Amino acid sequence: MKKIIFIILSLTLFAPVFGQTLDRSIRPKPGPAPEVKLGKPESFTLPNGMKVFVVENHTLPTISCSIQLDIKPELEGDMAGFHEMMGELLLTGTKTRTNDQLSEDIDFIGATIRATNEGLFGGGLKRNEDKLLELMSDIVLNANMTQDELDKIKKRTLSELETQKNEPDAMMSNVGASLNFGSKHPYGEITTDETAKNISLDRCTRYYQTYFRPNVAYMAIVGDITISEAKKLVEKYFGAWQKADVPVATYSKPTAPASPRVAMVPRDGAVQSVISVTLPIDLAPGSDDVIKARVANSVLGDGSQGRLFLDLREKHAWTYGAYSSITADILGGTFTADTKCRNAVSDSAVGEILKQMHRMQTDKVSDENLQNTIAYMSGTFAIGLENRSTIAQYAINIERYHMPEDYYQNYLKNLSKVTSDDVMAMAQKYITPEHANIIVVGSRDEVAKKLEKFGKVEYFDYLARPIKPDDDLRPAPAGVTADGVLKNYVKAIGGEDAIKNIKDLKTVSKSQIQGIDLTITEIKKAPSQLKQTVEGMGTVFQKEVLNGDKGYMEQQGKRQDLSGDELAQVTKDADIYGDLHPEKYGLKYELKGIQKVNGSDAYVLEETDPKGSKTTMYYDAKTGLFVKQIKTFDTPNGPMAQTLEMSDYTVVPNSGGYKVPYTVVQSAGPQVLNIKVQTVEINKGIPDTEFDLK
Amino acid sequence: MNKHTIRNLCIGAFMLFGALRSSAEIKFVQYDLPNGLHVILHEDHSTPIVAVSVMYHVGSKNEEASRTGFAHFFEHLLFEGSENIKRGEYMKLVQAAGGQLNANTSQDRTYYYEELPSNQLELALWMESERMLHAKIDTIGVETQRKVVKEEKKQRFDNTPYGQLINVVYDNAFTVHPYHWSPIGKDQYIDQATLAEFMEFYKTFYVPNNAVLVIGGDIDIKETKEWVEKYYGSIPKGTKPIPRPTAVEPQQTSEKRVTFYDNVQLPAVILAYHTPAMGSEDYYAVQLLTQWLSEGKSSLFQKEIVDKEQKAVQVGAFNIPNEDPSIAIMYGITNQGVTPDELEQSMETQVEKIKTDLISEQDYQKLMNQTETGFVSRNSRLLGTVETLATDYTFLHDANLINSEMERYKKVTKEDLKRVANKYFTKENRMVLDYLPKPKDNK
Repeated sequence: MKKIIFIILSLTLFAPVFGQTLDRSIRPKPGPAPEVKLGKPESFTLPNGMKVFVVENHTLPTISCSIQLDIKPELEGDMAGFHEMMGELLLTGTKTRTNDQLSEDIDFIGATIRATNEGLFGGGLKRNEDKLLELMSDIVLNANMTQDELDKIKKRTLSELETQKNEPDAMMSNVGASLNFGSKHPYGEITTDETAKNISLDRCTRYYQTYFRPNVAYMAIVGDITISEAKKLVEKYFGAWQKADVPVATYSKPTAPASPRVAMVPRDGAVQSVISVTLPIDLAPGSDDVIKARVANSVLGDGSQGRLFLDLREKHAWTYGAYSSITADILGGTFTADTKCRNAVSDSAVGEILKQMHRMQTDKVSDENLQNTIAYMSGTFAIGLENRSTIAQYAINIERYHMPEDYYQNYLKNLSKVTSDDVMAMAQKYITPEHANIIVVGSRDEVAKKLEKFGKVEYFDYLARPIKPDDDLRPAPAGVTADGVLKNYVKAIGGEDAIKNIKDLKTVSKSQIQGIDLTITEIKKAPSQLKQTVEGMGTVFQKEVLNGDKGYMEQQGKRQDLSGDELAQVTKDADIYGDLHPEKYGLKYELKGIQKVNGSDAYVLEETDPKGSKTTMYYDAKTGLFVKQIKTFDTPNGPMAQTLEMSDYTVVPNSGGYKVPYTVVQSAGPQVLNIKVQTVEINKGIPDTEFDLK
Repeated sequence: MNKHTIRNLCIGAFMLFGALRSSAEIKFVQYDLPNGLHVILHEDHSTPIVAVSVMYHVGSKNEEASRTGFAHFFEHLLFEGSENIKRGEYMKLVQAAGGQLNANTSQDRTYYYEELPSNQLELALWMESERMLHAKIDTIGVETQRKVVKEEKKQRFDNTPYGQLINVVYDNAFTVHPYHWSPIGKDQYIDQATLAEFMEFYKTFYVPNNAVLVIGGDIDIKETKEWVEKYYGSIPKGTKPIPRPTAVEPQQTSEKRVTFYDNVQLPAVILAYHTPAMGSEDYYAVQLLTQWLSEGKSSLFQKEIVDKEQKAVQVGAFNIPNEDPSIAIMYGITNQGVTPDELEQSMETQVEKIKTDLISEQDYQKLMNQTETGFVSRNSRLLGTVETLATDYTFLHDANLINSEMERYKKVTKEDLKRVANKYFTKENRMVLDYLPKPKDNK
């Protein structure tokens, strides 16, 4: 270092002091590349088999300790999901500490402890290192799981599963994992309501007793501690950890499809597609291909300089971002290219991703591009070393995955040696569009058909379960018209006379939202009066009243007069005879085809109102009854689809044959409302005063 | 031995440790350039990397009410390039040099930073100086970023559950002070902004006398000082007065209640209290109080509301560190079958506890230990250290708080905690926000 400083000093002496002649257009050149030193951690092994790595770093008075289990546990099977619960469960108490005591003791020393089904991590101040390790050993050696605590966790898990039904990232994650790995592989097991409910305390306890053993454990201690201090502590707290034979499961070998597999995961009312082109790859950590494959992936899809980003976003403006990733994993790696884009360009986006993947196999990357990529990856590697835990992790990786001893010492050197031929070879081996799973989570009606150009389209639901293909929209049989469908509907619900007979109508329904019982009362009086109240817990949550041409809506105490579109909608709803004269409201209908709704064929009509808003309406082909509706609303946060499903049509007493659906299921996004009609009363003489707009 | 003696022994040992800990002190040098730029240099050779950052003392609170979103927009414009860096090249240059970069805008400041291998320090200094001296503010850049900023706004609030929460709180808690509007701004104002206004903003706020340059890592102090002089010495000092908001939010005298509907599945309840500005007298006590309420599984909110009563799936309490008096937010997301009112009651019960009960010695020690761990851990990453130096200088004019601020927490007594809780966590001083799922329309 001394020599360099001297040279710079002498340069400065000659340089002008105030830089008036500084040419800012000259880009500064880098100094000589700094040496990236990789410390080698010390290590020792306990008699019970646990191997411990210690990295000393005295800049901050903190230490961290991580325990990693090198295990291949048996498949979860019909209890899929319990692995993910193990971490939380382990922290709910030990044989010596209740849940409260454990939390108190951890928090008191200002420490953090996290757990998973494959290990534990703890960190805190050096002066509390003894307590930290004592706590971690208590959790690891003396875990005590109870039914009570498991039930609490299961309850939270079931709530989370509900939200997955319409959450595109979760849907993609499930289907991607299932197609890449299959159910006989740990990465391909999907948690469902059934499997979650099945989870037993016995299974969790047995898992812990079987797999939490020192002879399959690695420990990394990093921070303000010496090797002898670490040895003392570890022997003190983990010396008594009993070793035992740990079974090793075998899994199916993941295989990429022989030809592109196209999977559509329908999501009601989606205006955007989540797209993933993904396949499993045989790439073990530390193997010869890893560094070269990472460079290839970086060229294709790393950040804002990747080919995917530059093409799909910068050139075509189809998306906010498009990227790719490659992972090396001893149980099976993956390659994934992904993006999110609007419906209309979904097929184009898929085509472009496949094209760019193919290009990696045929077009050599330019020298400049290659060097920039290598420089970026080198920098990331160096920056990663700032975290001392990285060094400990490297040591564990070498042991665990039987990597070459000097793998990380030589990382930068090997990285700099990667050529454009290497990149192309790696693309031919791993970035293979001809063997990819093409998965799209999005609108079935707008996108599915267009995907057929890539291969036969299969359909899956949010839990990767296959859906029957004939749920597709098909052309309606000859002779069926929109007008005919509407007339049949009127007949099916009792006919024009029965409807005209109604002067007033009172419907009381019950439902439930977040465990609160709701009562919905709706009264209508011809020609144009309506009142609907939603009550629960002794309060009126919502009230809507229309009295002729004026009305108001009240929510949580705030009242607002109805006007504009809202007023028009309520006026339509209030019209008891609405189905007899939709043209009065400027409604137009188009027959779109026939499609299955809950297993039965239904005619699909598209209704357009004077403003241009569309609603999709489904009428059962056999009974003529109105069974489903999907309407997309514009909200400040973008469009949102709402679905209604009607069933249990029953004749209303003393109505001359008038039928109403006694069950209505209303859903929008993750929210589902199950509405059950209790009573319907006709022509009881509802007074006008009921609709007063006080 | 009796108890008293043992306690003394422990304290003695503790003090010994205190002395040994001086190795954790963050060392740095600082000085001003004649043009007003404040410079802080922190040498640390543990890893061969450097971090370069510039914090400009301008945020959304410096905006005009009819031009919200400007400061954030600017952050985007500064990636467009400069006189000597072509459009699209800025990020590419850093990445090609093996580095990473980013920026962020808050109500009080805009912060730019990059981290690279240490032999690229001069490049980073040159790049930041290009931004400060002659960033490319032209029509093409403005029109491009206008679209991008609006897309970002849509995406962030569209896809994040409860993404609007903080905005709604500030929107309602402040009537006069510019914290009323969020840094992302409003589309209409972003649309109306003209190039001339952007140039004006740049010339007013993006000047060396309104900035601090912090450099940390594997650096040579002498060499670094020379480069700083080379690239920043000749940048002219700003000539325009720098407007700082003078509005003072009047004291709130009665409880505010607000309802907001969003695309969420579970209702959330938020209690927001007006609290003093960062670094002020009672600020540290408020920080400790929010910790007492929600940090760790044994905290009042976690233990009572989530675990025992099962009224919430998630809870938290935090105080937002702002330059002007700001807000402490306590929130809870209801569990199945729980109404917002019930959860509000639960949260209130815990808040009342910290007002009526003097904190136990055990819990007080816990708070101190937690604070100290956090305080020390902040410096485990170079970027963390560099940002703390920039922040402490910009708002409190004392970069050494990175070492000394822990003392201010230690000075807070148990009685202080009770007093401060009673002063700020009152009904009159609070806003209750019911963040609810959108009500459904019927057929």
